[in-house]
Amino acid sequence: MTRSDAALKLRGGAEYGIDLEAPGMVHAVLVPAPVAAGALRSVDLAAARRAPGVVAAIGPADLAALLPHGGDPDRPVFPSTRILYRNQPVAAVAAETLAEARAAARLVRVDVEATPPLVDIEDRYPDWPTGLASDAPGVVAHVHARHGNLDAAFASAEFVHREVYRTSGIEHVALEPHACLAEVRDGHWRVRTTTQTPFGAREDAAEILGIPAESLEVEGTWVGGGFGSKGAAFLEPYALVLAAASGRPVRLAFGYRDEFFQGRSTLPAVIRLETSVRDGTITGRRVRLLLDTGSSLPGRDFATGYAIGFLLGPYRIPAFEVEGYAIQTNKPPFGPHRAPFAPQCVFAIDSHTDGLARRLGVDPVEFRLRHVWQAGDRTAFGQEVGPFGAIAGLERARTTVAEWRRTLPPGTGIGVGVGFWSTSTGAGGEVRLRLTPAELVIEQAEHEIGSGSIVRGLVAVAERLFGLPTERLRVVTTSTARDPYDSGVFGSRTVAALGRAIEAAGTAMLARLAERAKAKGTATLTVQDGKLAVGIGARSIPLSELLSAEELRDGLVVEGRHYGRSGAIDPSRVVEGSFYAYTDFTAAVHVAAVTVDRETGSVKVLRYAAFQDVGTTIDAGMFRGQVEGGVVMGLGSALTEETLWDPDGRMRNPGLLDYRIPTIAEVPEIEAVAIEGFPGAGPFGMKGLGEPPIIPVPAAVANAVADATGARVLELPLTPERVARALMVD
Amino acid sequence: MTFSLARPSTIVEALRLLADDTEGPTAPLAGGTDLLLDLDDGRSTARRLVSLDKLPWKTLAWDGPRLNVGATLPLARLGSDATVRARLPGLSEGVDAVGSLALRHRATLGGNLGRAAPASDLLPILLAVDATVRLVGTAGRRELPVARFLRGSRQVDLAKDELIESVSIPEARLSTYVWQRVRPANDVSQVGVAVARSGSSASWRLALGGVLPVPTRIPEAEVHLTEERPRPEDVELAANAAATHARFVTDKRASEAYRRRLVATLVRRAVARAQIPPGER
Repeated sequence: MTRSDAALKLRGGAEYGIDLEAPGMVHAVLVPAPVAAGALRSVDLAAARRAPGVVAAIGPADLAALLPHGGDPDRPVFPSTRILYRNQPVAAVAAETLAEARAAARLVRVDVEATPPLVDIEDRYPDWPTGLASDAPGVVAHVHARHGNLDAAFASAEFVHREVYRTSGIEHVALEPHACLAEVRDGHWRVRTTTQTPFGAREDAAEILGIPAESLEVEGTWVGGGFGSKGAAFLEPYALVLAAASGRPVRLAFGYRDEFFQGRSTLPAVIRLETSVRDGTITGRRVRLLLDTGSSLPGRDFATGYAIGFLLGPYRIPAFEVEGYAIQTNKPPFGPHRAPFAPQCVFAIDSHTDGLARRLGVDPVEFRLRHVWQAGDRTAFGQEVGPFGAIAGLERARTTVAEWRRTLPPGTGIGVGVGFWSTSTGAGGEVRLRLTPAELVIEQAEHEIGSGSIVRGLVAVAERLFGLPTERLRVVTTSTARDPYDSGVFGSRTVAALGRAIEAAGTAMLARLAERAKAKGTATLTVQDGKLAVGIGARSIPLSELLSAEELRDGLVVEGRHYGRSGAIDPSRVVEGSFYAYTDFTAAVHVAAVTVDRETGSVKVLRYAAFQDVGTTIDAGMFRGQVEGGVVMGLGSALTEETLWDPDGRMRNPGLLDYRIPTIAEVPEIEAVAIEGFPGAGPFGMKGLGEPPIIPVPAAVANAVADATGARVLELPLTPERVARALMVD
Repeated sequence: MTFSLARPSTIVEALRLLADDTEGPTAPLAGGTDLLLDLDDGRSTARRLVSLDKLPWKTLAWDGPRLNVGATLPLARLGSDATVRARLPGLSEGVDAVGSLALRHRATLGGNLGRAAPASDLLPILLAVDATVRLVGTAGRRELPVARFLRGSRQVDLAKDELIESVSIPEARLSTYVWQRVRPANDVSQVGVAVARSGSSASWRLALGGVLPVPTRIPEAEVHLTEERPRPEDVELAANAAATHARFVTDKRASEAYRRRLVATLVRRAVARAQIPPGER
């Protein structure tokens, strides 16, 4: 694998958010709300404004004068009435030095009439809320769907397997904290920032600020890890209003503790599952989901309907009813975390499925093979399943399980987890190809976030499309002012969606060159005498003969776009709320081998195998990187990572000492195997790989623990204490 | 976090600086692996740090049956000493349990004692082998057992103008330190158990860490462990006594009930492990 950014990063030359500087730059600090809930009475900035070095100190009352249209009333930059979570920014200060800004921020007096916060959703809803109206206080979203005759399925069942699973909040822990540098000059708003979505951040920030998107320019930097944390606007609106207030370039950068305090990640949930079985076959399922959505606002919940899909697949279920509520709590808003909420749902559903098989006395892999989707099946929502590698993955897993049973010591627990995903190409992407006799340049909007999808993935697609060597291909990103539109690096879509846009542009470009050469047949690009040439059949024509003088200077420019399409769900199955259709069907079948210390509850993962349905492998090195990274991150969610909250809404573990990501000492040997031949939404039938490898990890580990001990742990993460407690109950 | 840093070359100068608070609260700085976190979080108000790195205390020497460890010797050097591992295996295991290798290149035994963290991985074994701490101050030198030096959670018997100079540790070939954590590597122990038997003592000594407020010996458990190879029923009595007589708390790292259960388990394991020669553990 050739990573064009490797040398730059190793030498420390890559510019990240925190490295941004500008002449005359000042430093910003946000003023946090002192309590998690309450009525905001006043924000007194007088002392802060008089403090040394301060160039601007602004609060809720200053927004109207700074924002021409007052900003988004639903999402004000600073709250003016109600505090929604502890540390919610209520004001901001900019000063000549960071120390001065911090000192001044401490002088801001925030007067709040505190009210008891809601921190744990089960405090409000200890039982399943029946007949709760969708617009009841604190309900941010309600989704409800059903199909088939569930009552009959339950009535005729041999048994109904009932369980309640609980999952914890987790954080992204990207190496690089958020940081940006904002400037406002002559009505031109500009922010340089570490973002997964330059255009998404622009649209979101412009909406919050109430300015036209065209008057805001977002320029990305290298991104030191995203995992969903750097999607929508976050720090940018604060820095921009401070820049407007001060007339100076403003740097706003989070420390690591701020990353925890401001969250915007996965939050806890309660998942109730009831599955009916007859003749060894699943006949029906009732699912109920209570999702803590933090201080998300109504209409801004994206997770509930989406999550429920994971609780109904990837298995055939003839009759079902699902109902989910997103409940507002006094925590930072819920936000996307690598495969948002899918690992948690799959932990619940695939633990449940594994337990069902064991209860029936059927091998868990065989039981899954009996039920798992294959092409032509229908999802719970009636969508036809496309090419899907789950059966192929399960067959590989069966072989692995058998081999490990023979070779690993007695007492080892072996578990399988099955996850699925869909490449999110539905969101649009565009590229601009620029061809000169020297090289082919791919101009597009996204910055490399670490996975390699931009610096390597797009190049690998272009290599394969055009047959050009790596050194003749270059990916260029500037800012939203010049780059073609793209919707962002998320949903495992980047290489698939932008790759299809490259394919569209490339096809058009080659057709145009063939036309200019007045040739019949397909044009290709080749290198001849050190320059690019067009090959048609046996002929090879130097590019210089086919380009105009202007094109020889600026390049032949051809744009391409890809706005993918999802399949359709059957609307008759939806009672209320939004559910999602898929663009393709990506399977992830994982196998974990563990030992469990029955006295302390400690779990050690000995071996791990991941069978990933990729359609086509675009780059073997990137494949391995994404699978290993996803598995390691998933092991953290499975075993040690959770956010802890005090009843007053204070986060108890805002740092890496007590928020425990895996160290290399906990990482086992990981076997990463590509399952090919089940094409997906990307070029050459590739499927997105950023998220699928994290999805089945907690399930595979939990099923291995159950295999080793006979005890089922119903809550993530499987800390030694939880495992020990489950073993005591048994 | 802003502070001034002094780097005295003599003990006398170091003590003079420590006694002088005119530049604001003053604190001694060894490896800094604990103190700097406190400064960053605002838990420490120190504005001047007196670095001990130029003092001649990065020493390791045997004096007959006792090991003298200089206060500022990096733990990594203590942990990599083969003789210490053979003659004081419990101490080496305690050192192995502290943070990461990178951190152990900074952290020191003196710093660990002086900071007296409730979940220290070194205090239990120092208690179990009955180590003594040697102090030097403007008023002179004194030596006292670690058990008396520890006064409470993060509280020690150390005057403002006094420093830990070295730690004197009796040989204990029968000794071990075992622990439990949420994550095995680079985490804070939920419970740590040290046991040791040295030549002269009438029974095993047993000390617990991670059980607030300060690592403590549990005599009620020790009385059951008089034999050099304790009988299983005596080990069981000791394990239950430790779980009964220790004080337990619930915090973000573990519940009281789980800690109690861990103590019993780890006492059983520690007594068994201490009897295995270090090279075979």
